Amino acid sequence: MKGRHTLELREARTPASTAVISRSIRRRQMRIGLLFVSPWILGFLAFFAYPFFATLYYSFTNFNGVSAAKIIGFANYSSLFHDSLFRSAVFNTFYYTAFELPLSTIVALGLAMLLNMNVRGRAIYRTVFYIPSIVPLVASCMIFVWIFNPTSGVVNALLTGLHIPGPDWFFSITWSKPSFIILGLWGLGQPMVIYLASLQGIPKDMYEVAALEGAGPFQRLRHVTLPMISPIILFNVVLQLVLCVSYFTQAQVIESQDVGGPGNSTWFFVQYLYEQAFNFLRFGYASAMGFFLFIVTGIVTVVLFKSSSRWVYYAGDQE
Amino acid sequence: MIEQAQHDGPIRQLKYRRFVKPTAMFAVAAMMVALVSYGTAGGTTKTTKAVKPHSVVNLTWETMWSGNTLTLLNQMTTAFNKTHPGIHVTETNIPSSTGLAKIASQIAAGDPPDVFTQWWPVLGEYAATGSIDSMSPYLTGKYAGLEKWEYPIAVAGGTYKNQLYAIPMSMNSWALYYNKSIMAAAGIKSPPKTLAQLDADSAKEWVVKSGRLIQIGEYPNVDGNGFEFFTSFFGATNCFNSAGKYDFANCPNAIKEMNWIASFAKYPYSQVNSMEAAYGSVAGGDDDAFVAGKEGFQVTGPWEGAQNIPVTNVGMEGNFGVEAFPGTVGGPSTIGQGNFNIIPKGASNPKDAFEFIAWLAGFNNTNFTASEDPLGGWVPASPAVAAAPAYQKWIAANPWLKPFLSQMGSKYSATPALTPTESQLEAAEATATNNVLEHTMTPAAALRYIDSQGNVSS
Repeated sequence: MKGRHTLELREARTPASTAVISRSIRRRQMRIGLLFVSPWILGFLAFFAYPFFATLYYSFTNFNGVSAAKIIGFANYSSLFHDSLFRSAVFNTFYYTAFELPLSTIVALGLAMLLNMNVRGRAIYRTVFYIPSIVPLVASCMIFVWIFNPTSGVVNALLTGLHIPGPDWFFSITWSKPSFIILGLWGLGQPMVIYLASLQGIPKDMYEVAALEGAGPFQRLRHVTLPMISPIILFNVVLQLVLCVSYFTQAQVIESQDVGGPGNSTWFFVQYLYEQAFNFLRFGYASAMGFFLFIVTGIVTVVLFKSSSRWVYYAGDQE
Repeated sequence: MIEQAQHDGPIRQLKYRRFVKPTAMFAVAAMMVALVSYGTAGGTTKTTKAVKPHSVVNLTWETMWSGNTLTLLNQMTTAFNKTHPGIHVTETNIPSSTGLAKIASQIAAGDPPDVFTQWWPVLGEYAATGSIDSMSPYLTGKYAGLEKWEYPIAVAGGTYKNQLYAIPMSMNSWALYYNKSIMAAAGIKSPPKTLAQLDADSAKEWVVKSGRLIQIGEYPNVDGNGFEFFTSFFGATNCFNSAGKYDFANCPNAIKEMNWIASFAKYPYSQVNSMEAAYGSVAGGDDDAFVAGKEGFQVTGPWEGAQNIPVTNVGMEGNFGVEAFPGTVGGPSTIGQGNFNIIPKGASNPKDAFEFIAWLAGFNNTNFTASEDPLGGWVPASPAVAAAPAYQKWIAANPWLKPFLSQMGSKYSATPALTPTESQLEAAEATATNNVLEHTMTPAAALRYIDSQGNVSS
């Protein structure tokens, strides 16, 4: 009825008067709308837009946080590429991301599939696998420091019992990054739950039809399960990517215990950024690092989204 | 239909007036009230101070300590507040892991504490960037003799370009601890008097069985930062070239020191560190292999024997001794390092803050400080406090402390010069030490790396 009213109103009025009224209504609605979303807009401007553009500006300056910033052009950016510690930090972060991202996706998805099976005690298993993700991050780190201590840790004690020489974990250049990757895999409860929810959203009749067509378990996984949850996989991959490139807390906490970091092997990008800004008061340099990270993350995310048309299936697109 | 449609406008307007507009107005008014309240609350202290010039001045003192030291700080503030009715100090703590970020943010935001206790090597950066106030203008009248009253290394640790920016409330001093029973088991009759003897004795004490480390002799990686802490022993604390740039790579004493550190690369770096970490995590970070009786020699400070051993391994009491490090330079020495109090830029009450800082150091407050420093396992910032009866009583009861105190005034003791890249230098020294011990850098490359980081443009 409302649509009809509007239509008839348009027919009855002159085009000029209709335009004036609708403009006035739109303006009023706009004002009210803006008023109600203003807290979010203010928050966005203050805590996202301003820091973003300020970081971009400071990345071209010599700025210590107190004195006035002096514009130095691209000097901070060129210094980055001559900085050996920066290269180490980039390499370590890349290494961590390259292993952690696919492993976390596969493990979380695999766990979700197992927990989606109709077995006895399923609720208990789900709870057990989710619990690590609700343990505070710092507590998780401390636990890993203890259990992975080569001298007194339970992991090496078990390996010794099996006559396997335990590695030096966080204390070894070879094993320090894998130790962090294992720590990352321990708290996969969040993506696992998201995958589990998406698996439960797949209509059962699709599996029934596939089975009738003669599809085995692997084919059902490949041609039904994965395509149906591919948007969720994309979402989780992007989320994990951001978490991997901004890896900080775990490394900082563990290294504060005089653990890890041999030969700069666990010196991650954001740790170095933090050190430059707050320990060395080189906010300009740290801003350049931050913007570099933004650009790299942005490029990888765009590539992921561009490639998603090949491997992500949106049911709505087919209608 | 037209009439109906024409009625929609007034109805919408009515709804707008009765519900939407009042709600929006209320929301805006509430936000304004909240902002005004916040502003009033935040400005109360300053307003009160401005209106009542003779009222109590509130000082905020921020530290990064935790645990038992907080009791000690509480005693200090209580004593100060009692004896200074015009000033009231409130002490607050922040975690040391985020202390640098917190104080940098506070200074940048223009809302710092009046006093901050800083032990990280950042005073050069702070002074160079104008992040802290110079205290030199206050060194007049009854404070005129303050600098001469302190140990020279305490003054040097707070001086940048001839201006005093920081005064330590206490100092650290480093010497060689030795485990008596490990020495006896290794057939060593007395503590080493030369560097060569230390190396030889240490070599006898290492125990590795089936590829696993059981006992450490001596390892030159103090708190993850070996090179810096040994520089005074080798006379390599401040190596600059004629242009005023760091030049450790061409400094004979620094080369000697780094080569000495590299001689320990034959021992298993990762196992030494994991053993230290294992004992550290057991006792909340206060323990280490020496406290546990698993290390023959260790270079560390008085707190090891005064606090760590009595608390976490009483079995070690009476089983250790302390000697000045048998260095290559003329006599006993230590690197100048301490708990320096600073007045951040933008502090509300800098003059009162200075009065409190001088009091904390023990200036015109000798007896109180002399009785408090032993509780923290600290070495005083001034020989006058060290000579006070309360402190001497502590030394007499614990004679192993004597080397720490006697080397404070040594002409061979040195403080790393405050420079705009002081913390970068220290971070590089730590990295270089680890890399040398890990075989990932040669000693010469490590020194070049230290120079490159120390000379980085700020």
